[in-house]
Amino acid sequence: MSRARDVLERLVGASGVERAVISMAALALSIVVGGLIVFVSGLGAACEAGANYHIAIPLPGSVEILLFDGRLSMLGFQSCYDPINVYEKLFIGAIGGLPWESGWQPTNFAMEVFLQRATLLLFTGLSVAVAFRAGLFNIGTQGQMIWGALVSAVTVLFVADFAPAGLAGTAILLPLALVSGAVAGGIWGAIPGALKAYADANEVITTIMLNFVATFGTTLLVSEFFQDPQSAGGTQTRMVPGNSLVPSIPFGFQGTRFSILALVLALVLAFVVYFVLWGTSFGFDVRTSGLQPEAATYAGVNAERTIVRSMTISGALGGIAGALWVLLANGRFLTGTEVPSLGFDGITVSVLAGNNPLGVIFGSILFGVLKSGGNALNFQTDVPPELVSILSGLIILFVAMPEFFRLIGRSMGIGDEQATVATDGGEDDG
Amino acid sequence: MSNTAVRLAGITKRFPGVVANDQVDLTVEKGSVHALLGENGAGKTTLMNVLYGLLQPEEGDVYVKGERREFQSPRDAIDAGIGMIHQHFMLVDPMQIWANIVLGQEPRKYFGLAVDEQAAIQQVHDLCERYGFEVDPTETVEDVSVGVQQRVEILKTLYRGADVLILDEPTAVLTPQEVEDLYDVLDELTAQGKTVIFITHKLGEAMHSADDITVLRDGESIATVSVDETNQNELAEMMVGREVLLEVDVPEHEPGETTLAVDDVTVTDGDDIDRVKDVSFEVRAGEVFGIAGVDGNGQSELVEAITGLESPTSGRIVVEGDDITGHSRRQRIDDGMAYIPEDRHERGLVMDFDLVENGLLGSQHAEPYSKNGRIEWDTVRGHAEDIIETYDVRPPNADADAHSLSGGNQQKFIVGREFERDPSVVVATHPTRGVDIGSTEFIHEELLDLRQRDRAVLLISSKLDEVRQLSDRLGVMYEGELVDIVDPDETSEEEIGLLMAGERPDGIESMRTTGGRP
Amino acid sequence: MDRDDLERRLRNAAPEVLPLSVAELRSMSRADARRLATWLTVGVLALVALYGIVFPGSTAGEVFWTAIGQSTIESSLRLAVPIALTAIGGLYAEKSGVINIGLEGLLIISAFAAVVVADVLGGAGSTGFPPVVSFDVGGSTYTIDPGVQLLVPNVWLGIAGGVLASMLLAFLFAVICIRYEGDQIIAGLAVWLVALGLAPFASKVMYGQPSTPQVVRLGEWTVPVLSDIPFVGPILFDANPMVFIMLVSVPVAWYGLNRTSFGYWVQASGENPKALDTVGVNVNRVRYAAVLISGFFAGIGGSALSLGSGGLFNGAGQTMVDGRGFIAIAAYLFGNYNPFGAFAASYLFSGLQALQIRLQGIAPTEVFLMLPYVVVVIVLVLVGRTRLPEAAGEHYESGED
Repeated sequence: MSRARDVLERLVGASGVERAVISMAALALSIVVGGLIVFVSGLGAACEAGANYHIAIPLPGSVEILLFDGRLSMLGFQSCYDPINVYEKLFIGAIGGLPWESGWQPTNFAMEVFLQRATLLLFTGLSVAVAFRAGLFNIGTQGQMIWGALVSAVTVLFVADFAPAGLAGTAILLPLALVSGAVAGGIWGAIPGALKAYADANEVITTIMLNFVATFGTTLLVSEFFQDPQSAGGTQTRMVPGNSLVPSIPFGFQGTRFSILALVLALVLAFVVYFVLWGTSFGFDVRTSGLQPEAATYAGVNAERTIVRSMTISGALGGIAGALWVLLANGRFLTGTEVPSLGFDGITVSVLAGNNPLGVIFGSILFGVLKSGGNALNFQTDVPPELVSILSGLIILFVAMPEFFRLIGRSMGIGDEQATVATDGGEDDG
Repeated sequence: MSNTAVRLAGITKRFPGVVANDQVDLTVEKGSVHALLGENGAGKTTLMNVLYGLLQPEEGDVYVKGERREFQSPRDAIDAGIGMIHQHFMLVDPMQIWANIVLGQEPRKYFGLAVDEQAAIQQVHDLCERYGFEVDPTETVEDVSVGVQQRVEILKTLYRGADVLILDEPTAVLTPQEVEDLYDVLDELTAQGKTVIFITHKLGEAMHSADDITVLRDGESIATVSVDETNQNELAEMMVGREVLLEVDVPEHEPGETTLAVDDVTVTDGDDIDRVKDVSFEVRAGEVFGIAGVDGNGQSELVEAITGLESPTSGRIVVEGDDITGHSRRQRIDDGMAYIPEDRHERGLVMDFDLVENGLLGSQHAEPYSKNGRIEWDTVRGHAEDIIETYDVRPPNADADAHSLSGGNQQKFIVGREFERDPSVVVATHPTRGVDIGSTEFIHEELLDLRQRDRAVLLISSKLDEVRQLSDRLGVMYEGELVDIVDPDETSEEEIGLLMAGERPDGIESMRTTGGRP
Repeated sequence: MDRDDLERRLRNAAPEVLPLSVAELRSMSRADARRLATWLTVGVLALVALYGIVFPGSTAGEVFWTAIGQSTIESSLRLAVPIALTAIGGLYAEKSGVINIGLEGLLIISAFAAVVVADVLGGAGSTGFPPVVSFDVGGSTYTIDPGVQLLVPNVWLGIAGGVLASMLLAFLFAVICIRYEGDQIIAGLAVWLVALGLAPFASKVMYGQPSTPQVVRLGEWTVPVLSDIPFVGPILFDANPMVFIMLVSVPVAWYGLNRTSFGYWVQASGENPKALDTVGVNVNRVRYAAVLISGFFAGIGGSALSLGSGGLFNGAGQTMVDGRGFIAIAAYLFGNYNPFGAFAASYLFSGLQALQIRLQGIAPTEVFLMLPYVVVVIVLVLVGRTRLPEAAGEHYESGED
């Protein structure tokens, strides 16, 4: 016990590891609170009888050690929903079942969705992380993603007429789709960046407002200029040609929703972003501005330019997510409201990862699971998939209160007292 | 009957890792001015925060008028008749003076629903009349001078019925003339039976204003003496625990050519108000040029114009013959300009960076620390370790975060980083503010060493003795103007004080060589 | 005061003035920016009006005559309610030093909770207070019947429920920011996202879809005689009660902030918390109160949004709140933390929405849907240099040096 505590103590002492521990604790706590919400909401739902709990340790064969079997009730109330069952469905359903079960295929539909969402979340998470590291609360990744999606779809449609068929076309169209998405997202990110840098307009609000503008603006553009003439009435663009889609590797997935190429690109970008932030002069400028803008100016950093650049990069990453969403999900742009809220989830992914690009990899995998699991909930339980959004909010909520976990840690005797600062007896300047 | 206003017995207050007060005793006579003298970090403010209920001691007792008290909060101390005027004024700038004075104990009307403004103003008026203060209660705090703001603070405590007033370093922000006014106020207060506790680290002030002096050192009370029975040297020895040389030994050195020329520089802010007006001076190689002045008379803006944080409205900045007026901050760093900023927590260091990264601050785009935009971390680490070793930064750990260092060590690290640039021009603003005596001496030596090595040093400090001792020539700023340039050895402290207040005493010999208006 | 005079005054004051500080000077240039913003807005409005009067047949004419039409003003006022009330609450919180970015979440939760409470109580109709209570002891049933009951319409109890839900969430936000020293912006975003998930989730659990059915609507209040005054009568005295509440709240909030002790404490807590602490007022208690006030007003605003007009909660997409919480923040910034100013700004935004409904023919719907958000961005650019309370966003701990 004391050994374990020693190890933990050393861990909690280090600030980077402390953040990771807090993230894990926040995650665990959100799952508990989410379960409570599920249980309580089950009280209000209509059902025959309370959920049956069957908790047992399975043994080989059909033997098991029964721990609990019966209905759970709280203060005499019985809930229709069983949180444990719900989480089981959520996490296992996210990958289409347990891998060691017979009949499980690595290329099942749920896996495809999970991998696709994880890939896209990696981009949006990186987008948010870059901005947050620069001290900018970019809540506009969603809007940047929407513009990236529309512009890449339209660009590909426009160029496709002149592009060669087959793989040669892919070699032109695919990079073009990604670049045009990045440019569009980048511009949409640069706008609030410039407004912040040169007019001090609060970026939290401007980016949220610009999300709405993106949603309505893209829908307007599609219905006015890029409407698919063959559409039965829904607002949407034409399908992009098949050879502009991301080649679906590995083969075996039924749809084109996931490609390892996209995932590899995302992973590479995570390392690139990490390198840029910690290995380059520009990254040093960004991090300094994010922590202490005054010190950054002192160190010769052009504050305005750094704000605009960081927001542009952040927007470009969001724009790539949009382009890939078009190429992987529908093959066309529908309306602004049809773009899934991966931009908002990117905030949670990044916050959970402590805004560390490499941490974002883990955050996006976890959130890919939750997103795909949300579908499973929809199909297999009565619990609404919006549970995932609640979890998302709760995670940010708990990550926002590190002091809570420090207090708990301290009361359990882990971690040292507040880092000792050699005080000048409170008389710092004299 | 006891004539003791306040008695502290065996006060011990610990902070994590530091004993700020160790068994401190203090007895203050009613109707006296009692100075609490000690270096920064000696525990003076901590002790007074205990008396004022802001901090709760681990051990020891507080007696007010002979009665034992336990203060859980300032409210309890206020109820016991204790008032404190903090070093940083506790005023709400956008609010009117009367509202600041009655804050927390507002007279009410309409069954306690609303603040009775008229009654409040009347009460403040009455207080001003009783103690002879000239204060207009309806003015907004941010529109009045620091001297008046300090009086507002005193009125605040009097409004709350304070009999014992604690003043924390009250002269730090005042001109010499305002300090005289403050002494008058203190006389008036003690004449009316109030007791004053006066926290200071300046010997002269303690001698001048107090009846009794208690010296604190390293959290312990060393002695309590009556002013009549002591002298400055004895006090200084008690303060630092050894005999100190109050004079800095400045070697002879002949300055060379002009390195930095400030030519007719005017800095205008966003509202067309000139913060710096037509300032001209030169700093020669191997010379320390000092600028004295009360804080807020344009020194900060002048420095920002020279270092490139702000661009001047007119005029030129010339370094070694090159006009650098249009250069960005980054270009100026590359031009060989070192800058010790006045606020190390905001500008000088990134508190959440370790010393390796802080050593890179300002050089992140320069060879050899960065090549083709890529940072060479090994070189950067070596650089930080060099600074730590050469400038004796403690703890000697490059991986320590800046905020874990003491103020003195933070400052030494900044000084080291800036001097290691091998600059031709050094701009040092308040380089020893909030720094312990040992580090102060060290930083002074380093500045003089630069001078020996024929660098141009511009020294801005609100510590008059510091600029006087170190400077070869001394400019005095007042209201954005460079009033005059004098020889610090030939000009008395009083004469400089008058210049700082914008007055020009007769018989001062100007050392102005170029430009500028008389 | 004219420019030269101001400058002269400052110069004259300067002799002893030490920190005639950079901060103060910046705040003056901010004042200029604000003046510019205000005049620009007034200018644009005046231009449209003038053009409209001269050329009644033009587009501007149509916009102008529609804008000053009785029905537009009525609906502008009604649409202003959630924004203006939320802005008033938000400015209290921010004045006290807590930036409440989570107002949007408070609106969502209260809009939903109001509908649910009204529905659970039985929709239209009333509930009696105190209720009749019966319980079993040892086989026999006892009933406590108060005899006289006060009948409260369920729709008002729904509003009370909405306010309560909003205040609970605001309290949670306050605990995170104040007790656990959380980052205010992150915590505010979390409040928004939690509400954005929770309301549609609960709606699906209870009603099987993210939007609730129509439960009960708040009727109009008609003041006899006064409502017969032409033009003004129907607007002010035959209106949604929420409009009355808003019109009363604005001056009350102003008085509370500028003429009461609590108001002074709120301001001091945001500008220089230490000044408040050292005179013995508990800063964090003031901040808790201010955040709860923001929850209270946002709660009324949210309830007004759901029960005040449609009588239902729409949880699709960004929910029926659709960014009004963030628009409210822009409104109080534009109004420079003055409840009257915040109300005027809210009316500007809601007026655009009201026009949009009436001017569908001029341009595609999306253009009008976008307009309020674009205007908010422009306003933020113009008032970007608003002087925030000195200590806004900062955690305060007593006794910390």
